[in-house]
Amino acid sequence: MASVEIRGVEKAFGAAKILHGVSIDIKDQEFVVLVGPSGCGKSTLLRMIAGLESISKGEIAIGSKVINKVPPKDRDIAMVFQNYALYPHMSVFDNIGFSLKLRKRTKGEIASRVQEAAEILNLQKYLQRSPRQLSGGQRQRVAMGRALVRDAQVFLYDEPLSNLDAKLRVTMRTEIKALHQRLKTTSVYVTHDQIEALTMADRIVVMNAGRVEQVGTPLQLYDTPANLFVADFIGSPSMNFIEGTLARSDIGVVVEAVDGTRLAAPQEFGGREGQKVVYGVRPEHFSLATGDAGSEAVVEVVEPTGANIEVFATLAAERVCAIFNQRHPFKPGDKIRLATDPDHVHLFDAATGVRL
Amino acid sequence: MMMSRLKKSILYWVLLSPLMIVILFPFGLMFVTAVRPRDELFVYPPRWTFSEFHWGNFVDMWGKTNFGGALLNSLYVSVSSTALALVLSIPAAYALSRHRFRGKGSYRNFLLMTQMMSPIVLVLGLFRLMVQFGLVNNLNSLVLTYAAFNMAFTIWMLQSYFNTIPRELEEASWMDGANHFVSLTKIFLPLAVPAMVVTGIFSFINSWNEFVLALTMIRSTENYTLPVQIFAQVAGRYQIEWHHVMAGTVLATVPVAIVFSWLQRYLIRGMALGAVK
Repeated sequence: MASVEIRGVEKAFGAAKILHGVSIDIKDQEFVVLVGPSGCGKSTLLRMIAGLESISKGEIAIGSKVINKVPPKDRDIAMVFQNYALYPHMSVFDNIGFSLKLRKRTKGEIASRVQEAAEILNLQKYLQRSPRQLSGGQRQRVAMGRALVRDAQVFLYDEPLSNLDAKLRVTMRTEIKALHQRLKTTSVYVTHDQIEALTMADRIVVMNAGRVEQVGTPLQLYDTPANLFVADFIGSPSMNFIEGTLARSDIGVVVEAVDGTRLAAPQEFGGREGQKVVYGVRPEHFSLATGDAGSEAVVEVVEPTGANIEVFATLAAERVCAIFNQRHPFKPGDKIRLATDPDHVHLFDAATGVRL
Repeated sequence: MMMSRLKKSILYWVLLSPLMIVILFPFGLMFVTAVRPRDELFVYPPRWTFSEFHWGNFVDMWGKTNFGGALLNSLYVSVSSTALALVLSIPAAYALSRHRFRGKGSYRNFLLMTQMMSPIVLVLGLFRLMVQFGLVNNLNSLVLTYAAFNMAFTIWMLQSYFNTIPRELEEASWMDGANHFVSLTKIFLPLAVPAMVVTGIFSFINSWNEFVLALTMIRSTENYTLPVQIFAQVAGRYQIEWHHVMAGTVLATVPVAIVFSWLQRYLIRGMALGAVK
């Protein structure tokens, strides 16, 4: 096990720059998730750690040893690929044991370690099968087995669950997390699914267009997103945004939306009066208000999810989503009043997108 | 349901039958001539039937026409040129499939363009070249030229197949600790076997059947390949022993056809299935 330090790493394919100076410190035993929309450079960064892509500029160190020039086979890293990349002409046993065979371990040792890995992953029954005789979930497990049989210093996961169906994905998510808690191998996990990131990570790195937008624990990112991109990307349904102007009124600081609606804002903030801002509030932070409190909204669509209902309504000329765990009998066209708790409101500068 | 499927197959076979007749007629004629007694060769009107199977034709033909020698020559030339073509095209196709390099597109176009030329256009030039090399009347001149002619096709075919072998398989093996050589021999090449067999078959058949170059390069009868040797039984003779010619063509075509129709299953074996996803 080892730490991974990424310092000022850049990647360019010809004239096209994919990564613009990324620096991330991954501590020993940590589970770090790189998350971002497709094309943000997260997979490229992972492949650079693996040694499958060259590093155009900057340094990557594993266990404080710079590995820029070290070929992949000598980096002592295990990787789980998105399409699993199982060797189709080998049995499950040989797939898992291949790395040990290359390291010239004895037959007995290979057998016992493959058995051990198979037990952890519930694969004992399938060891003699070939990959094509396995289901998607089982193949995924074999790919995991190939990684964990080795005691590698670092595990890399490149969207390992994206080929599984929704239900299996949730199960495997938990299994991978449990596995990490047990083995404690430093892990870097790439996904475009923010739910995977939130549920699995010790720390999340949000990337966008070749840059790191924010690094933090899942709840840090959820509660205090550093900018509009992170606020929008993390959380599902995503945060509601209403554009407006900071103003002081008889009820304290408010954000005045373009249609004149006044929305309660935190009393202490980093902006100035008259500044154009984006007012952000998460769906679960809306509450129903009566009388003059809150602002009027018109219900458009109601989606029950069982545990709660998601109400889509027009508020201050924007469509917003509010989540309630009471089963309110709203119908499309109903007028309701939505209030926000200023403590849970996020303000961003409209021009730069940076949190105020 | 069963009936309609049967009707459908019958209909398809009926539609295919003109084509089959065109293909099978020469073989039929070849066979009935090869096994006919000599005095029944020129009966009039011609008929398909004959009084007895005269297998002795094959034995006589073998003895009189140096068939064995020509067979060995053909085997030597076809096997060597196929091996040479494969040994050279596998790395070329691998490079085309896996690496980016300058001029890759034009190289592929060049390969395709060589296929648009008839070999006969190049015969004179090739003959002069072999004179320079001192390889005229040497079977190795055929090995070289056949390999060269086949390589454009084999590289093209192999590359298309190599493209379907996921790159991640090799990457996974590097992560597992394999160097490039081990990754190639333990992971990549075993998966490429079907493609190598198929291209090998094509290359072999091309060399086996080639006539013009062999006729040009080879002078002495003991170096004749099968097509030239059979041709020599027909061309420039006072008396043509048709039953020997046909026995020769049967022996030159049928065994090869049988072997390759058996090998053909490699064509459809999807080895890479189950590798990914």
